Amino acid sequence: MSLRSRIFTHAILISVCFFMLLPIYWVIKTSVSGENLFVYPPSIIPADPNMFYYVEAWYTVDFVQLFSNSFLIATLVVIVNLVLNAMAGYALTKHFPGKSLVMSFLLMSMMIPFHATIIPAYLLTAELGLLNSKLGIALPALSHIVCILLFKSNFEAVPSSLIQAARLDGLSEWQILTKIMIPLSKPAVATNIILSFIWSWNEFLWPLIVVRSPDQQTMPLGLVSFLASFEDTTGSLYAFCVLVVLPSMLVFLLAQKDFIRGLTSGATKG
Amino acid sequence: MFLKPKTKRNREIAFIWMLLLPALMVYLFYRIIPLLWNFVLSFSFWSPGKPFEYAGLYHYEEMLFYDDAFWTALKNTAVFMLATPISIAIALGLALLVDQKIRGRSLYRTLIFLPYPMMVVAVGIVWRWLYNDSVGLINYVLRSLGLIDQPIAFLESYSFAMASVMVAAIWQIVGFFMIILLTGLQNIPAHLYEAAVIDGARAHHRFWRITLPLLRPSIFLCVILGVIASFTSFDLIYTMTGGGPGLATELLITYIYKASFTLSRFDYAAAVTIVMFFLFLTLATVANRLAGGDAGKVDIAD
Repeated sequence: MSLRSRIFTHAILISVCFFMLLPIYWVIKTSVSGENLFVYPPSIIPADPNMFYYVEAWYTVDFVQLFSNSFLIATLVVIVNLVLNAMAGYALTKHFPGKSLVMSFLLMSMMIPFHATIIPAYLLTAELGLLNSKLGIALPALSHIVCILLFKSNFEAVPSSLIQAARLDGLSEWQILTKIMIPLSKPAVATNIILSFIWSWNEFLWPLIVVRSPDQQTMPLGLVSFLASFEDTTGSLYAFCVLVVLPSMLVFLLAQKDFIRGLTSGATKG
Repeated sequence: MFLKPKTKRNREIAFIWMLLLPALMVYLFYRIIPLLWNFVLSFSFWSPGKPFEYAGLYHYEEMLFYDDAFWTALKNTAVFMLATPISIAIALGLALLVDQKIRGRSLYRTLIFLPYPMMVVAVGIVWRWLYNDSVGLINYVLRSLGLIDQPIAFLESYSFAMASVMVAAIWQIVGFFMIILLTGLQNIPAHLYEAAVIDGARAHHRFWRITLPLLRPSIFLCVILGVIASFTSFDLIYTMTGGGPGLATELLITYIYKASFTLSRFDYAAAVTIVMFFLFLTLATVANRLAGGDAGKVDIAD
């Protein structure tokens, strides 16, 4: 590549990154200074960065409650997802009568966006008596089809000679799954954990419908009710935004590769 | 057969179904049954605490012939969908750039992708404030550059609200599309390009004749994901505009939410949902066909 086109490429990419990062920078800047909420024109670099708004946000909302609600739900979702998806993925590596029926059932379910089911899902959850509960919030997210398919393809890559050997050694099918298949499918396990965590953490519409009392609120609900009661003129709102985004950002940055592979799986084979 | 497995094979089959059932139950109860329930609801008069009553096409007639708000929401959803081709065009350009052997390309990829995993509620709140007419960054920049004299209240304006929300949506999704297209680019065999170079094909010929056709599945995957996003972008609208001003940014999904959970018209909202679902299904099927039938393997449920 010539020097000129290299400089050109860098120039474009740097300016795009600038636009992508500007809102993020601006939020962080305001959360440590509160400046451009009151000051016009705003300064580019905060004059006196401090944690005041973080402390204020911490004391204005019951942060521990919101965080632990979101975290408990996400933990439940992640664990159940791992168990259900690994089991279903393993079953789908085998041949059995009705397998194609199960596959088309799954593909059909995949074509139904959750948003197209919210009304009956709400009525159903009400029938189960699970409105306003953590289990009710977690229920629809307990399994993700893309993760089942991910486990399936990971399991299929395990050499069959290994499974034969395990069978000869007298391992049961269940032990083959837990002792051989899952330890050999670390990428699928990682992707499962990351995707189900981030999806659960960011989910807004469903908890908005299901949750009735403040003590069951998750992080996004807390953020929205904070906005409703304080308007957007306080720096602590933006400190709150930073705190809400941080966990999923951390998970993403720690496990970028798995996250992206998970999201593009299926797409990659096209 | 399931209760009394006699042979080894039967026992194995019972075991397989035992592994499958929990996951299948989740989809049965939170995908299939709700969809059928929606059908039933959309043909009946019903509200919580009242008995079911057959309504025939009543709700559909109301929606199609008497409800202007529905048509506005439908039109807005179609407009909002235009964010998809724009995002794909930008993402394709970026993917081609970060696919080259340049220094820092993985850093570029990460930074451009960074907005995607963020909680949409927070993204909406932040963009709402960036658009603010008195303290928003965007107005400040435009005024400093001398492009406008008076601050514009973007999200309260009938002419700018929809475009403003779309910019935020594009900002968040473009990195994701870039990664999908990049994966597609990397799957194109290098020898095709080598052969084309030997045949004397110019760069733009190589792009139109090799890159673009072979990228088709990835592009249509983005199209499907974009279509899904335009039917499900509830969080962004809710936090940025609440559907306003007036109905200027009301999408089908926010309309459904309001009809059911604000007005308690579950039966009517179910009919709107059914229409939305079939529109989605049609668009997704068309996109999938055009992609060569291999783009459906994504979790569109989320």
